[in-house]
Amino acid sequence: MEKRAIRPFSGDTVTLVLMIALAAMWILPTIWVISLSLRPNMDLMRSTAGLLPIPFTLQNYIDIVSVSMTPRWLLNSAIVAIGTTVITLIVASLAGYAFARIAFPFKRTLFVFILCGLMIPEQTIIIPLHAMITDWGMHNTHAALIAPRVAMPVGVFLMTQFFRAIPLELEEAARLDNASRLTVFRRIMLPLSIPALTTLGIYTFLQAWNDFFWPLVSATNSNMYTVTVGLSSLQGNFAQTEGLGFIMASAVFASLPVVIVYVIFQKYIVRGIAMTTGK
Amino acid sequence: MASVRLRAVAKNYGAVRAIHEVNLDVEHREFVVLVGPSGCGKSTLLRMIAGLETISGGEITLDDQVINDVPAGGRGVAMVFQNYALYPHMTAAQNMAFGLENIGMAREEINRRIAHAASTLKIEELLQRRPKAMSGGQRQRIAIGRAIVRDPKVFLFDEPLSNLDAALRVQMRIEIAKLHQRLDATMIYVTHDQVEAMTLADKIVVLSAGRIEQVGTPLELYHTPRNTFVAGFIGSPKMNIIDGKVAAITPEGVDVETPSGRLAIAAEPAGLAIGDSVRVGIRPEHMGVGKPGDGLAVVVEVVERLGDETMVYGTIGDGTSVVVKLDGTARVRTGETIPISVAATDGHLFTMDGEALRRTPAALEGLFDV
Ligand SMILES: Nc1ncnc2c1ncn2[C@@H]1O[C@H](COP(=O)(O)OP(=O)(O)OP(=O)(O)O)[C@@H](O)[C@H]1O
Ligand SMILES: [Mg+2]
Repeated sequence: MEKRAIRPFSGDTVTLVLMIALAAMWILPTIWVISLSLRPNMDLMRSTAGLLPIPFTLQNYIDIVSVSMTPRWLLNSAIVAIGTTVITLIVASLAGYAFARIAFPFKRTLFVFILCGLMIPEQTIIIPLHAMITDWGMHNTHAALIAPRVAMPVGVFLMTQFFRAIPLELEEAARLDNASRLTVFRRIMLPLSIPALTTLGIYTFLQAWNDFFWPLVSATNSNMYTVTVGLSSLQGNFAQTEGLGFIMASAVFASLPVVIVYVIFQKYIVRGIAMTTGK
Repeated sequence: MASVRLRAVAKNYGAVRAIHEVNLDVEHREFVVLVGPSGCGKSTLLRMIAGLETISGGEITLDDQVINDVPAGGRGVAMVFQNYALYPHMTAAQNMAFGLENIGMAREEINRRIAHAASTLKIEELLQRRPKAMSGGQRQRIAIGRAIVRDPKVFLFDEPLSNLDAALRVQMRIEIAKLHQRLDATMIYVTHDQVEAMTLADKIVVLSAGRIEQVGTPLELYHTPRNTFVAGFIGSPKMNIIDGKVAAITPEGVDVETPSGRLAIAAEPAGLAIGDSVRVGIRPEHMGVGKPGDGLAVVVEVVERLGDETMVYGTIGDGTSVVVKLDGTARVRTGETIPISVAATDGHLFTMDGEALRRTPAALEGLFDV
């Protein structure tokens, strides 16, 4: 596995050097942030120079867990991201199956309509969305953070394309095998679409976890902040000088789940990017 | 009992009529093969019987029950697809069990049936494997196994062997024939391989452009094709069709003047008069080298020596191509003109619109006694 990934570059020294340089550019700020998070706040008021955490302390992380609201925000983020992911997968797979395999009136029009959703920027709908949620009195709930995110055109599109590519004969064989439509969906189509569902799931999860704009608008009560909104709220006037280590620790703490997801599902994320770009 | 009857069955795809009012009887335990050129509607017909395709007109009955509106799963038919259509995420055993689980069969009975089918098909060692880890022939067996365990009234096959290599195809063909004997099942089998059709069928149905051209036993179709289409479709190489004019009507049949010589054909001259245009049909295997001046003068263009036989490709006077099958030691050279003789009782005669004239009793003598 590793060998296969490295070999294409081994002959090309220039590419290799460039890749190392680029990787360093990406990794250095990360190392710096981690290092800052492991230094005392008082020390950071004097200087933030240096990549090594000297003097070393875990106090910032201890503060996060014991004092601050970061754990609460993490929990909110987790509820929202997992909820969004699960519901999106259900909606997208059912809708995708219908578009791929069931004949119904205005199917094509409806599909185009959904695809149009891809072209509408978030900013244009945020005010009506806000007004709507206000009318329903739903702000500062998890539902308000999840609901607008589960109507995901990309997901429906991806699942439709994926189901279309599954040979029709499989479904016909299943029909001859006395399988109902639901059985076909559950026992044939869903198991076969695990790669697509994984990809879509990771994509949705990361998107929901990193979401900032909508939670910022909808969650006004700090108890309902997601971790992205919460962290940005920490940037008070003097935070940069007085509590830099603490902010950095919060950032590291908040990105851990995302990092873990990336590490575990690296393979699928690459495949997913390949899928959404058409090959 | 499992007999299938098609009464004026038709299929439209939008404005296009794919099947034109087909009538067909398939008897209990019969092995019926549907043949015909690509696009003639074989798969469509089979899929209508299976319940995978709606029926635009007419009636299909299974054991005297009209099944037009019975869903595929409820018809008691099983189908083996050309590309096997095995569920890729299931093992062979799970593939076979799927249909039985769906009707709520008890686990022990499912296992018993799978074990029985596996021993019939000699696929015991494949049961825990997924389709991806099997060869084409092995997948084909699993697909057949999946059909067998359901104990269907009718087996449907849509070109099941066309994805296999030649040697395996022969082997599987023989196994399907054995299976038919052992299971005593009614089978309907689609192919465009006429060797498969001839060897497997109790009854062959020749289709063309959505219509049945002829139904009969393999030998009936070979010896008494109803028209030039069937005559050309059954037999390999194809029957030679040569245009000519009626020269004489004799007690033994009809003498035809062709562009390259005169041929006597033992066919009944119903409605023919001297001077009428007709078509003569002669199978390559019924041609031989005659005495100079005899029969047809054929200009040899290509000679293929296959060892046991020699294929001669040539032309006659009006440019019509003919194929002659001679024995392996025939002395024929490219460029020469050879006299080809044909026994009158081996010839076929057709009207200009391709309808066959009845062969005389003398011509048919002994052909069906085998
Ligand atoms: N879904 C469809 N929509 C429109 N026309 C169709 C459809 N399916 C089949 N046809 C047409 O119906 C005719 C018969 O098709 P069918 O698949 O039955 O042919 P076939 O005899 O099985 O051919 P082959 O030997 O190539 O498999 C063809 O002309 C085909 O184009
Ligand atoms: Mg076909």
